[in-house]
Amino acid sequence: MTSYFEFTNPTKLCSGKGAADNLEYELEILGVLHPMVLSDRVLEKIGTLGIVLDALHTVQPGRVFTDIPRDSSIDVVNRIAREYREFGCDGLIAVGGGSVLDTAKGVRLLISQDADDLLDLMGCECLPRGKYVPFVALPTTAGTGSEATPVAVIKNPSLHIKMEYISQHLMPDVAVLDPRMTMTLPPRITASTGMDTLCHAIEAYSCMQKNPISDAYAASAVRLVRDNLVKAVRRGRSKETRMALANASYLAGAAFGNSMVGVIHAVGHALGGVCHIPHGDAMNILLPAGMIFNRKVCRDAYGELLLYLAGPEVYQATEPSKRADRSIREVIHLRKQLHELTGLPLTLKEAGADPGLFPQVAKTALNDGACIVNPREVTFEAVMKILEKCYE
Amino acid sequence: MKRELMNQADRIVLEVLYRSFRVLYRKDSRVRKEIDGWADDLTLKLVCGFGGAVLVVRHDREHGIVKLKRAQKADITMRFKSVEGAFQVLSGQKSVADAYAEHLFFLEGDIFQTMSFVRCVEYLEGYLFPGFMSRRILKELPGKQIPALEVYALALLENGN
Ligand SMILES: [Fe+2]
Repeated sequence: MTSYFEFTNPTKLCSGKGAADNLEYELEILGVLHPMVLSDRVLEKIGTLGIVLDALHTVQPGRVFTDIPRDSSIDVVNRIAREYREFGCDGLIAVGGGSVLDTAKGVRLLISQDADDLLDLMGCECLPRGKYVPFVALPTTAGTGSEATPVAVIKNPSLHIKMEYISQHLMPDVAVLDPRMTMTLPPRITASTGMDTLCHAIEAYSCMQKNPISDAYAASAVRLVRDNLVKAVRRGRSKETRMALANASYLAGAAFGNSMVGVIHAVGHALGGVCHIPHGDAMNILLPAGMIFNRKVCRDAYGELLLYLAGPEVYQATEPSKRADRSIREVIHLRKQLHELTGLPLTLKEAGADPGLFPQVAKTALNDGACIVNPREVTFEAVMKILEKCYE
Repeated sequence: MKRELMNQADRIVLEVLYRSFRVLYRKDSRVRKEIDGWADDLTLKLVCGFGGAVLVVRHDREHGIVKLKRAQKADITMRFKSVEGAFQVLSGQKSVADAYAEHLFFLEGDIFQTMSFVRCVEYLEGYLFPGFMSRRILKELPGKQIPALEVYALALLENGN
């Protein structure tokens, strides 16, 4: 842990049954009359977006934009910002997974800074607030935690990289966690996004910026994942488990939004950019290998996490010196269960990665901001080793 | 007064940093490889707190980096929030990674390209600070390709412009 830390979480959380029904009120007190609603085609088709639009009642959206791809890019964000201005919108509502939420953050950045191109605004914690743009986020996956982070990851297609924007002004004013938003998530995606949550919590709990506040958020998230992920995969219609995972995702997001993530995410982002492996799948594949890599310097943190990963009985029955290893074994066991239930890939080979691209993945990973806060020095050779270990 | 002293020290260390960078561009293959990977004419600015010392450099194929006039807006700017914070890093009390984790500085520009610069600074710290200091602040000692004394000597002789 460092000798100084900062913690930001200004977002109001509306969490639980019927949460989306309060949307009209939340918009009213934010002063929004004509929000731009961002979502994607699938959510439009399966009716999730409809639930949100119905909840707007008297509020007339200025524009509903559903043409956001799975990996949103700078061009998409620039285009949406132009439409925001054209249609005279006065706030943002994002209904979707990480890509939609991060797109909304990018749009907010452009509008608030009065800019046209996201490439002009790159950086970390460098921007003043600018014009106020009210922003409400309704996550439809329980994974990225984007509704609670100051981070937006947006693709730069010309460079084949995912660019990171970090600013406290990216955090939504309100995050709405409603079980109806995640109820229809298929088991395979529930598993994959749930492992992303777990990765956020474990990396947040072990990175250089860890602090007592982010630790509390991360530990709670791990416990909720432990108790609910497999259940939600088995019985997706359970409101309680869906809510538990949505809360876990938010908690883990708030944790890593402040203490940041490390080598697992650095490599995961690179695998996404270079090999197009979905983020959650990459996290699931990389988590044990990343933990083993960091174990040397994270023994205490991983040991403490055993309490949340396995419960008090196992924690107590395990010798303190063996707790870190047991934590890693618990993660491996969870992965195995999810693999059997949903076919979630355990190796990069199963995920279709081309090992010939690994040097490029490693090079890209080293330039990811997450490497700098990883507790152990990340080198090209170390990343190559992790990739090879995860291949089959 | 204390602040002014730190400012002076920051200014001196920035000059040492600049000269050593140029030396290592010639003498350390890892630093050379990093810098050769930078975009042509990439400009980089280091600001040591409000009203503090400033270094602006441009990527140069021959010397690695060359110094520019301070007023220039750069592609990448690393701006320390305070003179005190900058001093902690430049005097070897904190690594760049610690400084980042403690929000001592913020970045304007592409985070990806900045990481290469950070790695160069870590190589440099391995030369400039005595082992006991680098061991305390760096996660791993980066190793040296020439003796540290040689870097100091060459930096002294280095043409500052
Ligand atoms: Fe993630």
